[in-house]
Amino acid sequence: MEFFARYQDGITAEIRDVVCVIDLAALPVALVILDPATRVGIAVWVAGDTYALNARAGELRIGSVSQTPGARLSVQGLDNMRRARSLLPSLRTRQKQDGRRQFGLVGGASAALFLLIFGYIFGVPLLAGQLVHLVPPEWEMRLGETAQAQIESILGEDGYFDDCDSDPSSPGNVAIARFVDAAWEGHNSPFKPDVRVVYSEIPNAYALPGGQAYYFYSLLHESDDPDEFAGVLAHELGHVFHRHGMQTLIATSATGLLVGFVFGDMSGTSVAGAVGSALIDTRFSRDAEQQADQFAGETARRLGYRATALVNLIDRVSGDSAFTQALALLSSHPMNDDRRKLLEAYDIPRSEAKPAFTNAEWRAIKAMCAPPAEDEFN
Amino acid sequence: MTTDTPVPPGDQPSPADGVAASGGPAATVEPVPMLTPAQEVATVGKNWPKPVNGGAAWARAVPEPPPPPGPNNVAFTGSRWDLAGLMVRGFLLMVPTLGIYRFWQQTARRHFYWQNTVIAGEPLEYTGTAAQLLVGFLLALLLFVPIYIGLFVLSTQPPAIFGIGYGVVLALLWFLGSYATYRGRGFRLSRTLWRGIRFNQKGNAWIYALRSFGWSLLMIVTLGLVFPWMAASLWRYRYRHTWYGDRNFTFEGKGGQLAGPYFLMYAVNIVATGALFGLVGLGGGLAGDGRSLSATIFLLLLLLVPFFLLTFGWFRCVEHTRMLSSVRLGDAALTMRVKFRHLLLQYVLNALSVTGTVLAFGIVILVMVVVVVAANKGVDIADPQAVARLFGNGTISGIALIGIYLTLLATIALLSEIILACGWWILLARGARVSNVESLASVRSTPEDRALVGEGLADALNVGAY
Repeated sequence: MEFFARYQDGITAEIRDVVCVIDLAALPVALVILDPATRVGIAVWVAGDTYALNARAGELRIGSVSQTPGARLSVQGLDNMRRARSLLPSLRTRQKQDGRRQFGLVGGASAALFLLIFGYIFGVPLLAGQLVHLVPPEWEMRLGETAQAQIESILGEDGYFDDCDSDPSSPGNVAIARFVDAAWEGHNSPFKPDVRVVYSEIPNAYALPGGQAYYFYSLLHESDDPDEFAGVLAHELGHVFHRHGMQTLIATSATGLLVGFVFGDMSGTSVAGAVGSALIDTRFSRDAEQQADQFAGETARRLGYRATALVNLIDRVSGDSAFTQALALLSSHPMNDDRRKLLEAYDIPRSEAKPAFTNAEWRAIKAMCAPPAEDEFN
Repeated sequence: MTTDTPVPPGDQPSPADGVAASGGPAATVEPVPMLTPAQEVATVGKNWPKPVNGGAAWARAVPEPPPPPGPNNVAFTGSRWDLAGLMVRGFLLMVPTLGIYRFWQQTARRHFYWQNTVIAGEPLEYTGTAAQLLVGFLLALLLFVPIYIGLFVLSTQPPAIFGIGYGVVLALLWFLGSYATYRGRGFRLSRTLWRGIRFNQKGNAWIYALRSFGWSLLMIVTLGLVFPWMAASLWRYRYRHTWYGDRNFTFEGKGGQLAGPYFLMYAVNIVATGALFGLVGLGGGLAGDGRSLSATIFLLLLLLVPFFLLTFGWFRCVEHTRMLSSVRLGDAALTMRVKFRHLLLQYVLNALSVTGTVLAFGIVILVMVVVVVAANKGVDIADPQAVARLFGNGTISGIALIGIYLTLLATIALLSEIILACGWWILLARGARVSNVESLASVRSTPEDRALVGEGLADALNVGAY
């Protein structure tokens, strides 16, 4: 039995028709390549060294591990290919070997990546929490000032984002500073929180790296009693205490790197990558929110006001619609129901609770922002 | 008989005895003598007997002779269904492997393109492996970590410094993009075989990137007018450093060859922009102030995008026709003819199919929502809150949402691969003619350089082609 092929030796770009026979007498068994007309030998390959290359349909391409890398036998025609395969069993065994090797590579690499992601998701909050202590506080404060300047340049137009009351010795600011000092007592932190109430029609509050916290007028407007205000304030102080701003910065940068790795696009331009980042980062963010809630709860219990007031206010301002519940995976905050459960653990009976601010203080705080013009907040 | 005692060639058993499969009596070869290398060579050049069933058998079985050197001796034999099949398989396997399989998909894709491109009867062969791409990607990561840390530190700086720093990083990435493109081309060429001889790219990727970067600066200064000379210069650098075995490509293309069509495209776009704005302006559409005006302008520019893409597509055809027709390899020459109407057809087909896909996805989601709502009696479909409550299980809805989203992305990527990318490759293959192919038979191979590093950077910067 023999088969016909086109032969190239991998040394010159010549190509010629050949006939191939097996020489069982040779040791190791040889594949002898002959000129079809004269039957003169052209080359001898070790039969067991041959392997099949990836080729188009209807063609069998054979190389040899002991020949020059470009040496090839190209076999065409079904009958011809069948004969070549039966004469060269190593084609099949080496193909299987390669299949196993590729499978092992894909499997090994995927397993390593799985471990990396698993370790990342559970490790990064811990890691970021540790790394954050390596960041010098002065640097973080400067960073906070930069962030504040950026935010003000984006949001701060037409008098928005101005301080409601820039006089630090006004009754409102004094009352807030008294509460902050009380909440901060016993906590070891490089930062001195600086809380400011600013104009904005968005009902929100947030903390920046470096200890600055903002309470938006619109949210103060919605707060019905001092405990609600104190709850949100303590929550933001929790962010300051845990240095979450800095942690988030570290974590999101690392996430970008990891997701870029998964999707193979380090330039961050692929949309799929953005979704992946959002999934991981929001999970991290939910953990941070939970920590801040715990801080708020502990503060409430220590100072003796009601912890759940925090979530009452949030419920009123941004009740979780069913739609946001459906998108819980992509949400940066925990669901309000979960937050309520957490805070209830810190709640003290209504009869024993006393408000976080005195009536006079609360009136002063509410009066910090001049009543807005009618058309401004509606 | 041992290998220690050399045997005169005449004394060795006739190799014909060993051709067991031909049915000879000596199929039972018991003690097979070890052949020394000298003896092995001796079997070469010896006359082997013809098979018993007649010597003419081989003549019938020999594969069809190479096609006669007709007008176009380059053919593409692949089917888009096969390509679609391997792409789908790749996307599916990317899910359990968290994207790692993309290196294998990429390799399979290249096998498809290469082995179906048949030049003068002989297909190209791609010898790169997925593991090489994976290793290259890991190495590229090493470069990206410092860039990432740099960006992180930058993001903490005051806005002015941040702006400048970000500009510097963008310029660096632009520069690295050219570097990666060149390296990627070198990787693919050095893993391309034709007639058993390897292509190769020499030259220096840093120099190429510097040139490309310098030209980019000139492009900005001249508002793009210098493009024809930039293109020709970069084509020239690429091809003059391209080798087939021991033979160097030459390139005779000139920027002047591109200037006419390029300026025509440039002028047509300016006239079209001017005309559109003029018409809208006369009709009073540009009245108004501030926001509404900038919105109108943005909308008009958006309208111009398809027009720009079409004219640029036309120019791309002219560019490839003229530049590739300037490529020589010794006495062999490449002639290229890319027809714009074929490209136009692909553009239209792709636009239609992507629109159709998005619509189909929308309809499927709508039907799914309606079915779920219908299955839950007492829910008013007109009440979005109530409908949303049905999908209130966050995790399942979230996963479904991400699944639908990724499927949509994969479908669009698949369509653009089989319509645009494959279409462009086919246009180039079918439009090509290599004259004087026989002169290439004397090309000899050069020693292999088997660099392990794949196209990591090109991959990571998203500049890879095919």
